[in-house]
Amino acid sequence: MTVHENKLVSEIESLKAEFIKTTEKLIKDVKRQDKIMARSDKRQQQEYDELQVKFAEVETLQKEIEETQKEVVFTMGAIGESRSKETGLHVKRVAEYSKILALSYGLDEKEAEMLKQASPMHDIGKVAIPDSILNKPEPFNPQDREIMDTHAQLGFDMLKMSNRPLLKMAATVAHEHHEKYNGNGYPQGLKGEEIHIYGRITALADVFDALGSDRVYKKAWNDEKIFKMFKEERGEHFDPKLIDIFFENLDKFLAVRDRMKDI
Amino acid sequence: MENLTIQATKYTPEINLDTFGMISLTGKSYPENTFDFYEPMMQWVREYFASSPADETVVNMEIIYFNSSSSKLFFDFFDLLDEVKENHRISINWIYDEENESAEEAGEDFIEDFENLDIKLVVK
Repeated sequence: MTVHENKLVSEIESLKAEFIKTTEKLIKDVKRQDKIMARSDKRQQQEYDELQVKFAEVETLQKEIEETQKEVVFTMGAIGESRSKETGLHVKRVAEYSKILALSYGLDEKEAEMLKQASPMHDIGKVAIPDSILNKPEPFNPQDREIMDTHAQLGFDMLKMSNRPLLKMAATVAHEHHEKYNGNGYPQGLKGEEIHIYGRITALADVFDALGSDRVYKKAWNDEKIFKMFKEERGEHFDPKLIDIFFENLDKFLAVRDRMKDI
Repeated sequence: MENLTIQATKYTPEINLDTFGMISLTGKSYPENTFDFYEPMMQWVREYFASSPADETVVNMEIIYFNSSSSKLFFDFFDLLDEVKENHRISINWIYDEENESAEEAGEDFIEDFENLDIKLVVK
């Protein structure tokens, strides 16, 4: 007896072939996908490693730049100092006082630290003042004073061309550290908050340190006399807010003065 | 059928599709949407082989950097070439810089997966 082949069998056979073809393709695709993922992971890892190396390099360079800037600024301050009658640790103390004032006034840590670095340059303009005036043992006559007072403008002119934030700040400090809150300062006669906060801060820091130090031409003032003068000059020579800050933080200022005494 | 040129962007390669028988991709490949970006190219290639292609078609791929979905797309692209290779002469150059290790490895992968395609590694 002949059994006729069931049509179903051939249909199933062809389905089976299709199924095998499709599963093979699926397997191939999955394997391919895995390969792509593995390759991609490996590459990502390499790239990450390379990036880390590059970041470290950038960081080192950044530090180098910052250190160089600091050094340049500090050296310029030292040059200015060597040309002025103020000696020893004057600029370093002014730097510390400036930072305390800046932080208490509300500037952020970064800006306060920058001001600490820039404030030592306040007298850089003195490099352009003739020795005959700078080193004069007797008190200045009005002509001498006039020439001496140009150091603020001179300092600004030296630094104003720079686009570096620190040097720009130093330019402002040099320019405005002899301005007075009541408008009677120099060189521009700026008044109140027209005077940049950097100038107002450095003015107070500079005067506080100068008064408290011996000079060839004068003895150091005692604290009582300095404080009395500061109270009188509140809102006159100095920003009243900064005078308040000064008295509120007096212990900090005195600690710096003790720590950085001229020997 | 017309030639198709797609200019390079920051994230995508320059693509030149010439009816005289040249397909070339040059540059980086990490598009925002890889499959959308390559769809016009894939469309062109399908039509090209379906109409009247040149006697020989040369494919030059110089991809210096690519993401994983581009890698997947290149596999699809080679699949497409694999399907039409019986009736057409196709030669593929995978071009890479000596120092570009991952491009070299990708080229080796394609050769391994498409043993019936004529893929050559070409050091620039």
